[in-house]
Amino acid sequence: MTAVETTDAAVPVRTSSPAPRRAVAGGARRRRGSAFDRLLPYLLLAPAVIGILWLIGFPVVSVVVTSFRKLDLGELVRGQIVWVGIDNYTKVLSDPRFWEITVRTVLFTAAVVATSVVVGLVIALLMRQLSTPIRILLQVCMLLAWAMPIIASTTVYQWIFDQQYGILNKILVKFGFDFAGYSWFSTGTATLSVIGLLIVWQAIPFLAFSLYAGVIGVPSDLYEAAGIDGASAWQTFRAVTWPELKPLLMMVTFLSLLWDFKVFTQIWVFKEGGPSGGSTTLPVLQYLEGISQSHFGVAAAVSVLMVAILTLLTVSYLRKLLQTQEGKL
Amino acid sequence: MNAKKVSANVVAVLIAAFFAFPTYWMVTTALKPKKDLLSSDFDLIPSSVTNSNFVTAWTKPGFLQSLGNSLFVSLSAVVAALVIGLLAALALSRMRFRGRKGFVMLMLVAQMAPFEALLIPMFLMMRDLGLYEQLSSLILIYFAVTLPFCAWTLRGFVNGIPIELEEAAMVDGCGRWGAFRRVTLPLLGPGLVATSVFAFITAWNEFLFAKVMVRAEDKETLPVWLSGFQSAFGTDWGGAMAASALFTVPVLVFFLIVQRKMVTGVTAGAVKG
Amino acid sequence: MDGSAPDTLTKALNDEFEASNKDVKVKYEVQKWGGIQEKLTTALTSNTPPDVIELGNTQTPKFASEGTLLDLTADAANLNGGEWLGGLKDSLTWENKQFGLPFYASNRTVIYRTDLFTAAGITAPPTSRDEWLAAIEKLKTANASNPDFQALYLPGQSWYSLLSFIWDEGGDVAKKDGDKFVGALNTPQAKAGVDFYKKLVEASGTKAPKDTDEAKPQQMEVFGTGNVAMMIGLPWELGGAVKANPDLEKKTSAFPVPSKTAGKTAPVFLGGSNLAIPAGSKNVDLAKSYLKLLSTKKYQDQLGAAGTVPGTSKDTSSLQSNPVGKALAASSVNGKVTPATPKWAAVEAGQNPLKDMLTAYLTGAKSLDQATTDANTALTALLGG
Repeated sequence: MTAVETTDAAVPVRTSSPAPRRAVAGGARRRRGSAFDRLLPYLLLAPAVIGILWLIGFPVVSVVVTSFRKLDLGELVRGQIVWVGIDNYTKVLSDPRFWEITVRTVLFTAAVVATSVVVGLVIALLMRQLSTPIRILLQVCMLLAWAMPIIASTTVYQWIFDQQYGILNKILVKFGFDFAGYSWFSTGTATLSVIGLLIVWQAIPFLAFSLYAGVIGVPSDLYEAAGIDGASAWQTFRAVTWPELKPLLMMVTFLSLLWDFKVFTQIWVFKEGGPSGGSTTLPVLQYLEGISQSHFGVAAAVSVLMVAILTLLTVSYLRKLLQTQEGKL
Repeated sequence: MNAKKVSANVVAVLIAAFFAFPTYWMVTTALKPKKDLLSSDFDLIPSSVTNSNFVTAWTKPGFLQSLGNSLFVSLSAVVAALVIGLLAALALSRMRFRGRKGFVMLMLVAQMAPFEALLIPMFLMMRDLGLYEQLSSLILIYFAVTLPFCAWTLRGFVNGIPIELEEAAMVDGCGRWGAFRRVTLPLLGPGLVATSVFAFITAWNEFLFAKVMVRAEDKETLPVWLSGFQSAFGTDWGGAMAASALFTVPVLVFFLIVQRKMVTGVTAGAVKG
Repeated sequence: MDGSAPDTLTKALNDEFEASNKDVKVKYEVQKWGGIQEKLTTALTSNTPPDVIELGNTQTPKFASEGTLLDLTADAANLNGGEWLGGLKDSLTWENKQFGLPFYASNRTVIYRTDLFTAAGITAPPTSRDEWLAAIEKLKTANASNPDFQALYLPGQSWYSLLSFIWDEGGDVAKKDGDKFVGALNTPQAKAGVDFYKKLVEASGTKAPKDTDEAKPQQMEVFGTGNVAMMIGLPWELGGAVKANPDLEKKTSAFPVPSKTAGKTAPVFLGGSNLAIPAGSKNVDLAKSYLKLLSTKKYQDQLGAAGTVPGTSKDTSSLQSNPVGKALAASSVNGKVTPATPKWAAVEAGQNPLKDMLTAYLTGAKSLDQATTDANTALTALLGG
């Protein structure tokens, strides 16, 4: 069995090596046919796959199975199994609130994802233009936002927007607007807007960092070529940056969609899905059925439905992924 | 410095200020004496400061212990997820083999599961493994949750590095592994930064599972310890904010270390011409 | 849980128990309140559940009804059964069996500023609703020059206070209908209670937000600013206010929530905890003797001294040492709990229709009839499902 070549001699990249060439010219495309080479991908993947199938696969299967069971507190503690077929699903789907909650969740997710991705991209592009100390300042400020524990960030936001003592109302009053005692949480939509702002604020840093990593990976000779032809900033963006960045951009958008759809803690801590259920989203519903009312079977059904909806939303991305050959996406 | 750069820098500073404001608010609250917490006055800048909240937070029992627990759990999970994720990412990105699409889909689908929904099944699993009440259960859980993300994201970053660079290196006599180490890995730097920071923060800030999986006080992680400021007797907000500020410091340190080591890879971009 | 019994009590208790039981070690794990519902669920499902747990009294019916707790009816006599606090006893009784032991309770009283009362010419604390409203008027007049002054700080969603008013009218939030509970918010009595809440809010001109409860912002911190004459609160809230503003200590006292009938005190919600033995406990006998030790007068007095109403002792003399304790003891006799149905836990752990109802009515978004009817429908759905 031929091992994969490693040359430990300090071979500078550009000079030709006197050592006998055993590496295949042209790189990875032509498979050498050795058993090890054939096995290598599977070996590299094995730990990850085992980890995922075991630690995530089992619980997920368990959730699906639970969605067909009646699992309240008593059954859970006693380890009882009571099958109820699709009763949990019919209960959830026939509740008129369910559709209202689903629409709200989708709209909320769309708004949050769009805002964070666009702003994240703009910041990433901006970061290229900055002098290093300013760039580090920006990165540190974003990092601190990203890392703030949820208990602190939700509380600070609630204080800032507080009716009576919030600094925002105080600032607006100082500027002459009549915002004394104004409540920012009087409707579900208003509440979700503030929560959305919080989430966007904590989501942008990751997007900015990732997209920046992509932006600086764009070879500068491409930019030079565009510059020679006299292209404007916007044209350069469209011609050079966008095509290079597109796969990464689509990937982080997809990830954002998954995460923002599943957001729970911030919504709950703010107003517990209120006022009057006005800011309740699917994850909140899942919590209400599950931990709150201990109807774990119903909660499991909600989870399965959530994943189904998520799959629907991302189906076009998923299909494109399956179609590409060389994994350009 | 031309006008474009100056205006870019100014805009950046404004954006940084927007991001920093809530953090600023957290820190000033931590510095305010208790009676100034709820004031009708315009208190953008605190009128008086005190370090008593920081002292409370620092001396509150369990701080150093839970800090240690959090570091242990988070670093272990992150290192495992990064390494294993990177290996998987390389396979998925650079190699052609049967079933590749299936594995790609697996990484993707694994990220769709709603985390909170897995609480009870994962608890039952850990219980049956005998790991309930052990910190290692948390390591496994955080590893599981961040692994698909790491594999998936790193795959995206590896895709972004043209394979021609590796091939060029191999033409010059580097083996596959050498090409990877010298060319790809450095260029992957910023991507590794983003991914590792994400994984670290996810583990560092996680509350629900940390609360449920361990019962003994000496096994608490920081988020659980932090929730102790909210007792049945009201919340000590000054203390909680001070503690939150202290809480964020290790993340900042992690980022700065990782950033410094990884960014050197960017200069290797000179290779790209 | 965190802050339940004072450390001195638990240390003494654990030491004494270990001393009289050789080879037994007591592992005492203090839990934080955050996420407690999840914690209890998983702790009870584990292979080594705790032998004794503390449960909020509104959570007890849920855990009792699902068979997760041990039936202690036969042992009640051994655990000072004759002295159990009535309200707490109700919360741990399910199908006529007792599934725990009362631990401690506390209830709300009206905490007030003695100096502001004197300055406004109020000579004695109000003992009826009319006197209460009159006192509010006097306080407003005396402090008209202070723009931040509030005669009574009452946030919109303080539903525990609302319970007092509803009960005082002879109504309740829910009643038994066969073997289920249904909402009783649309009865005239309940509506009268809600209406009185609004009267208080409007008469006092409180600046408290109408869409949050007394925790956001923390009522005690507002009281601590010194510009509030009264708040309906728990004893520890006064403690918190004093911490923020030590001057207040000498200037505060408390009176029981007045009833509409002069001379009586309004029924109050008895917040508190019970102790129970999980059904899966491996050390039942030891657990029972631990509880027996805790239920003795020696330790119950310590609970009183710490400012809470003891659960298994009718002797509240240890509470009388401070004015808040006095008011507490006086009103706890008239203490009630929320409907002893397992579904009630979901009302507190989820979206509480009572809170939404109050906000809607106080902001004028819904009429009294509309608000109570909608809340009743939601409550019935929660209690039935």
